[in-house]
Amino acid sequence: MQIEGSLAVITGGARGLGLAIATFLQSKGGKVVVVDRDEASLEALPPAFDRFALDVTDLEAAKKLSQQLVAKYGSINLLVNNAGVIFNEPMVNIMKPNGMMHDYARFRSSIAANLDSVFVMTSAVVEQMVLKRTRGAIINISSISACGNEGQTAYSAAKAGVNAMTVTWSKELGKFGIRVNAVSPGFIATPSTKAALKESQLKHITSNTPLGRLGEDKEVAMAVASLVENDFLNGVILDVNGGLRI
Amino acid sequence: MDKQVAAVLAEVLGLRENQIVPSLTKADVDQWDSLKQMDLVNSLERHFNIALEIQDIVKMDSVSNVIAVLKQRGVPIAD
Repeated sequence: MQIEGSLAVITGGARGLGLAIATFLQSKGGKVVVVDRDEASLEALPPAFDRFALDVTDLEAAKKLSQQLVAKYGSINLLVNNAGVIFNEPMVNIMKPNGMMHDYARFRSSIAANLDSVFVMTSAVVEQMVLKRTRGAIINISSISACGNEGQTAYSAAKAGVNAMTVTWSKELGKFGIRVNAVSPGFIATPSTKAALKESQLKHITSNTPLGRLGEDKEVAMAVASLVENDFLNGVILDVNGGLRI
Repeated sequence: MDKQVAAVLAEVLGLRENQIVPSLTKADVDQWDSLKQMDLVNSLERHFNIALEIQDIVKMDSVSNVIAVLKQRGVPIAD
């Protein structure tokens, strides 16, 4: 699929990795719609981006937005499910003897932000693609944590779920001419990674990465673009991690 | 029964061509589910070089309705 002239919707696209993906796709000629719940960051975007404030766990709002976009642009060709929130909490915190177990409400909340959101947005957009018989692509942003990362029960489970949905949808939606792939970044030098990890953890990660550095957000964006442009890629979970295994 | 239509339907649904009769419906064929419907759509589009709309796809719930949709799309169908 050609990016040039395609309508691309990027969730969580107002900042960080999402903004890097949005910017890269736009540089390749895509018409980019940024969806984010952070209205201040949306307002700060360059004027060339169309933008919408949305809670990507709200199915009715997502369906309404998809209908609006089809009415405005004719069709949606590409959805990048990037919105998510890194979340760390150990299953057992022995330092809190009166509440040592992982909080269930925070588990549910992380699953909603990182897994439900992908289901909701894909459901809303694919419905429009199928109704209009648009041949399109879905790219889910997964994570190296999908393998199971210490201290990230909820986040790891959510991202493993994203990988499973990616493969399942590639089988179901391929019949409709819709390809579904995922990019699974390792540790990328974004503000959210730096906020989630201590300096000592970042050094440990860097030293364990065969390429000896964190990834760049543009490298993730390039992986997204390659999955969009190659029409025979379907059901792929593309690692972008410098060779790191966890 | 049109030979080409029967051949496409038989191949997609895993039936013999002589089982493809106008009165056959989705309800009569276990494997004719929503996913198989898209296999059928893709095969018909490729074979007859047509593009079906979502409304056509929903209508095609029996062999007779498949034939009706194909005729509407200008496919010459033998009786």
